[in-house]
This record gives sequence, C-alpha cells and structure tokens, in this order.
Amino acid sequence: MAEIVKIKYLIIGGGVAGTTAAETLRQNDPAGSITIVSDEPYPFYSRIMLSKPNFFLGKIPFENIFLKKENWYKEHNINFMGGVSASDLDSQKKIVSLSNGQIIEYEKLLLAIGGCARRWQIPDSDKKGICYLRTLDETKEVINAIKTAKKAICIGGGFVSFETCELLRMKNIDTTLLVMEPYFWANLLDEESGLMIEDALQKGGVKIFKNEITEEILGDENVKGLKTKTDKEFEADLIVVGIGIMCPMNIFQKNGLAVSRGILANEYLETNLPDVWTAGDSAEFKDVILNEQIMLGNWANAQTQGKTVALNMLGKKQPFRMVSFYTTIAFGLNIAFVGDMKVSEGVSVIKRGSRESGSLGRLLIKNEKIIGATLMNRTNEMAPISKLIENNFKVAGHEKELADADFDLKKLL
Amino acid sequence: MAKQIKKVLVDRDLCIGAASCIAVMPEVFELDGENKAVLIQKGGIKNSGPATIDAFDVSSVNQETLRMAAESCPTKAIFLYDEDGGQIYPD
Repeated sequence: MAEIVKIKYLIIGGGVAGTTAAETLRQNDPAGSITIVSDEPYPFYSRIMLSKPNFFLGKIPFENIFLKKENWYKEHNINFMGGVSASDLDSQKKIVSLSNGQIIEYEKLLLAIGGCARRWQIPDSDKKGICYLRTLDETKEVINAIKTAKKAICIGGGFVSFETCELLRMKNIDTTLLVMEPYFWANLLDEESGLMIEDALQKGGVKIFKNEITEEILGDENVKGLKTKTDKEFEADLIVVGIGIMCPMNIFQKNGLAVSRGILANEYLETNLPDVWTAGDSAEFKDVILNEQIMLGNWANAQTQGKTVALNMLGKKQPFRMVSFYTTIAFGLNIAFVGDMKVSEGVSVIKRGSRESGSLGRLLIKNEKIIGATLMNRTNEMAPISKLIENNFKVAGHEKELADADFDLKKLL
Repeated sequence: MAKQIKKVLVDRDLCIGAASCIAVMPEVFELDGENKAVLIQKGGIKNSGPATIDAFDVSSVNQETLRMAAESCPTKAIFLYDEDGGQIYPD
C-alpha cells in the first residue's frame, strides 16, 4: 500500500476558487502544508480569456493565459499536482486517494472542483470536429479547428454559443446556430430579451434555427454535418457544443457528501461532512442575501468564495455575502445578469425599455424586494441594482419609477 | 526585494468588468458606468489612470495587495509600473 502523506490543507481543483483559497490560506498560515490537486496539467489560468478574441484568435502570446506561473507555487510553498484527479474520499479517516496512486490524509479539505462541459448525448458525438469550450485543452482543439474550418455549427442557446459565434464570424466562418428552445437563452431570459440577442447574432451573420433537436451526426471519422428531428440537414466541419456544465461529483457523493445540482453548503461554505468545504462553480450554497440555496458559475463569485472559504477553513466563521453578477459582450450587445435571474414561483418582473428601443432591463421582484436583474445594453445599471438588492430595497410605491427606462436608479439609493 | 509599484493603469479595452480587482481591493478599485474598472483617487477623481499610488484616496497602499489585485485580473488589464516607468506587471 502506498505511503500516506499528511497535508494540512488539501484543495481539489486548481481554478480560481482553489487557487484564491490557497493564496489566502498561505497569507494567514505561513507554515501549514498546502496541496492543490488539479485534473488539468496546467497552472492556474484565466478561463475567462479562453473565449476572448485576443487570446482565441492569437492576438496575444499564448502564455498570457496563465495567471500564476509555476514558480509562484514554489515561492508560496504550495504543492501543485497537475494532471491528477481524486479517485476516492474517506471522510471518516480523512483520506483522499488520487489517480496517480498517492494517498493524502488531510486536516481540512476543499472541493473546488468546478464544472465540466456537459457532453452531447447523441450517438457518434465523438467524431473529430465536435468540440467543447471549457478547459484549456478543449479550447486548443477549437483554436486549431478554426484555422481550416469552413462551416461551423454552434449548439445551445447560452453564453458559450453567444461568444463562440462572434469568434467564428471574426474568422469569416459560415456559422449556423441551433437551439432546441423557442428562443435564445430561454432558460434564463424572457422572449423579448432572447430575440434581442438573436437580432445581434443575425446582424453579425449567424444563421439561427430554433426548436431544433439533433437526431443524427453525419460524417465518417470527421464530422460532416448533422440532421435534426425535423429532417433538416446542415453541413459542417466544426461543431461547438455549449449546452451547460455539470459537476463531476460522483466519487464524493458516494461517500456521503450531500449534493443536489452542486455540492450543498451552508453560508460558511461548509458541506455536511466534517472539515470538508466547497467553493466556486461546484458550490450550491446558502445565499444570505437571497435567503436561498443557489449555484452560480462565474469568475467573481468563485474568486470571492475562494477567499471566504479559506478564512472559514482557518476558523474565522465568515458568511459568504455577495450580490453576484455576470457580463458578456459580443456583436456589440452587452449582456449583464445580476443576482438571481430565475423567474421561479412568486417572482414578478418589472420591465425597463424594449427590444425596439435597443435596451431592455428586467427587474425580478420577490416578496416586495428586488432579487435580480437581466440587462441588455443597460450595463451601467448593474451597480445601482446590486446595491438595491444588498440594501433590501422595498419596491412598494416605486413601481412607476422602476418601470421608467429613463429613470436614474441611483436616485433610489 | 520586489520592485515598488508607483503607477497603475487599467486598460479599458481589455477590462471586461469581472471585478476581480474590486474583490481584492475595494478601497482602490470600482466599476464605472461602462462596467470598466476605475481607480478611486483623492478629490473625488475616478478614472482608469495612469495614476500614481500617492493619488489614491487611501491613507496607505499595501504593495502586496495591489499586486494581488492586478494578478487576479482574468484579462490582465491592470498594469503596474515602478518609479522609473518600468512595467512590473504583467511580467
């Protein structure tokens, strides 16, 4: 049996949550041993940059993607194990087994495992030319493919398709977008906002087909196209699939870790297992502002959680408190999401602006309070809306102002 | 000893408003109406710089925290310079 190595802080995941946690731990505990285990073979890099034109189209040196160089880990006495994943967890013995055969006994364990691109569940979807955009290696594949691609298809109505379509069009590649929903980003947006995005995509030369589900993938070793359930055939030598992320939780789950869509955690980012914590995209945590269990996939959230979770691992009992947000831009359209964007039961919506006017905001109201917003070309309202959410602003009596697209929301602060 | 940061600049073309810098150093960075990072300076001045650290609206600037704020930027939009104008970060 392999020798057991004892580590004070074991971090599974080398992304922004895991790396920020390691950095914060080291600042507060100069001597405690820290190990980061990452299934990707690279030091911490900027996932945000992967789908940005500067990097994607090779306008800046490839090395710029890295936010920490290898010597950073040495300088901070952090042991980085790249290309290794966790294969087993025994939370009673406090032991994690790794894919390289090593066994680590931890004092505190952080599961910052992030998410991986949801795989397309269609026969033959492993053909060459069918790609995902999540990890650095996956992105490298797409970057290579666009050098020769003539016709591309993007699958899915979310941010991966939104950004990828623009990159493809910048390379003058014939681009078709297939979504299975009746309009773009239908799981988060209303139809009017979705159509605004479609307007921008179409203006940029993207052909959009909605309510289309792929039935068959065409080609031999290399993909040549696909056929949908409505019997339409599309040619393509590149297909980029952006249909969401999923968390690889299986090994932890079978060891009694409580999970739902992600790893369940309280406001201190503690899981149900002793001395096991979670942060970042994989955390489904208790949000103290919204008073709900939520899961978010964005950089600022993961970074801030990495910091908070480290402080809690150090025993500082600090609840995670942040109004989260996400922004993206492509084809000249600015999209921003603030707080909780899901119109669940008991949520009403106040509209600001319209598709015709070129800017459209939606304020989501629950129990007389703003809980979130979606903003098309109204990014400058992110800050005041975040503050209104944080301050528990009472909507009653202000409905007219909130529905007036020209009303300055800062006046309510 | 690490070089002392004297001047800071946010490249507004690179900045995407991910707010990493604000998470690290909210007393120095904030987002403006265009969702770009600006430096909070004395006299109510807020712009993306370049600005010298003495102009920041804080009693003292922690060099290490400022470097961390720049290093945390996912698009490497924050540039740090020393006294002689030499670029310290991105390195």
